[in-house]
Amino acid sequence: MAVFNPKDRVIECKIVYYGPGRSGKTTNLEYIFKAGKKYTNSELVSINTKGDRTLFFDFLPLGLGKIRGCDVKVQLYTVPGQAKYNSTRKLVLKNVDGVVFVADSLEIRRKENFLSLKDLQQNLAEKNMNILKIPLVIQYNKRDLGEQGIPIMPIKDMERDLNSKLKAPSFGANALKGKGVGETLKKCLILTLRHLQKELQWSQ
Amino acid sequence: MSDKERIKSLIKEAALYQKQGLFEESKEKYEEILTFIQDHERYSKDKKLIDAVKGKIRIAEDNLDEIDKTTETPALSQEIQDLISRLFSSSKDKDMAAIEGAVALAKFGQYEKALAEFQRLIEEGKMPLVAAKNSLMCHIAISSPDAAIAQFEQWVSWNTFSGPDLKYIRTFLENTLEKQGIKADLPLVDEAPDVEGESEEREVDMIDISSISVELANGPRKGEKIELQVTFQLGNKISTIIPAQQKYLADAFKIGLRLSGMQCFSPLAIFNARGIVSGLKIVTSGPRRGSHALDITIDGV
Ligand SMILES: Nc1nc2c(ncn2[C@@H]2O[C@H](COP(=O)(O)OP(=O)(O)OP(=O)(O)O)[C@@H](O)[C@H]2O)c(=O)[nH]1
Ligand SMILES: [Mg+2]
Repeated sequence: MAVFNPKDRVIECKIVYYGPGRSGKTTNLEYIFKAGKKYTNSELVSINTKGDRTLFFDFLPLGLGKIRGCDVKVQLYTVPGQAKYNSTRKLVLKNVDGVVFVADSLEIRRKENFLSLKDLQQNLAEKNMNILKIPLVIQYNKRDLGEQGIPIMPIKDMERDLNSKLKAPSFGANALKGKGVGETLKKCLILTLRHLQKELQWSQ
Repeated sequence: MSDKERIKSLIKEAALYQKQGLFEESKEKYEEILTFIQDHERYSKDKKLIDAVKGKIRIAEDNLDEIDKTTETPALSQEIQDLISRLFSSSKDKDMAAIEGAVALAKFGQYEKALAEFQRLIEEGKMPLVAAKNSLMCHIAISSPDAAIAQFEQWVSWNTFSGPDLKYIRTFLENTLEKQGIKADLPLVDEAPDVEGESEEREVDMIDISSISVELANGPRKGEKIELQVTFQLGNKISTIIPAQQKYLADAFKIGLRLSGMQCFSPLAIFNARGIVSGLKIVTSGPRRGSHALDITIDGV
């Protein structure tokens, strides 16, 4: 749950990047950090294990300035995607306001996308949150690999696999180059803030 | 696609998976390549190619092994630990938030820091019972139920808590241990424990020592450095446990033995100390039965 301080008119919300191991969650944050320097004066905090795999989380706070008379602050997190770190994912997911699901376009990771989305749904349900109701955006990452002749899933197949029930806004991306990263985040922020506005009755 | 092109494209794929850290997928792809090569007469005698592919499979396997082996609880900087306790505490109540922060530290494997934090909360009387329960859970997680029992024994003898509080904590610890199938010999608690005779020792201002390292002066392993966990500390007197399986260690100590180059580890610092073996006896009951309790009195730092 976001922290809203009506007196100072500051709102602080939390967006979590979820998805299977190696799908590019950390790469998203790295790009946002590089490109969004003017929105933050903090460093990107990454707690990694061998080979740059996220062990605990990545963390990046952003300040968006005033929106409808409120100072809006956002905390971006990633979870560790490796299946064995589920208890850490649950911990990071605590008090989440919005989710970006980073799916891996590699054909060979098709099943992992599926399992990770299911894992997200279960972990949210444990916290009495409904994946159909939480602000959610799906990103189909690594689209660039198709041009290199590596087998990737067509977007429409990924939509059918992952998004036929959720009907969440979705974007193709190449997080390494930053393509689609901003759009994904922006959409998730809009959905999250709209959601919070209703919930917290926050307006001008 | 010609066979050559096919091999080339498979290798490209396998190499990309390797680069992206998808070692399982990379290994499978290289194995597919190996089968393909071995099935095609034109390549099946190309030893160089086969060896190269086998080498790649080994690299992927090594990477997988390494992932399995890496320790899951890295030592984090003070700064990151502070960040974790700040980020993962959401309560408006300050004391509750402090507890949540310390619990988060423990969940992220930062047990020493979490313990120090719980200890601080106990000392400052901020939700001391919640802090005490979490502290015991931490002890169990880091080392063993014995450490939790030792902590409880310390609270009893230091009179850290009131009688009724101690009783409550005792019940909690008893139940927790029971769930793990351990029947512990916890000291009984009076509603109003007698603390006379302890005040003098409590005045000795001694830093909390978590473990010590000493060089064996006798026995078959003379000269070897060993580390012992401190299970209990009262001022400058520390107790350690030598597990039953390591009886040869117990043989290296006897009462009155001077220990000159002892290293003491505490959550705050590592320091050198001198001391004397003030007690050595075999534990005859409880979960530590068969172990040796080694007491050391520190008389100089
Ligand atoms: N070609 C390509 N590679 C990408 C893209 N996004 C990420 N990668 C690569 O994929 C690998 C994994 O990226 P990370 O960002 O570490 O993945 P993650 O989701 O944080 O992984 P975990 O922390 O293990 O859950 C790295 O080698 C990245 O360089 C992309 O859009 N295109
Ligand atoms: Mg990561």
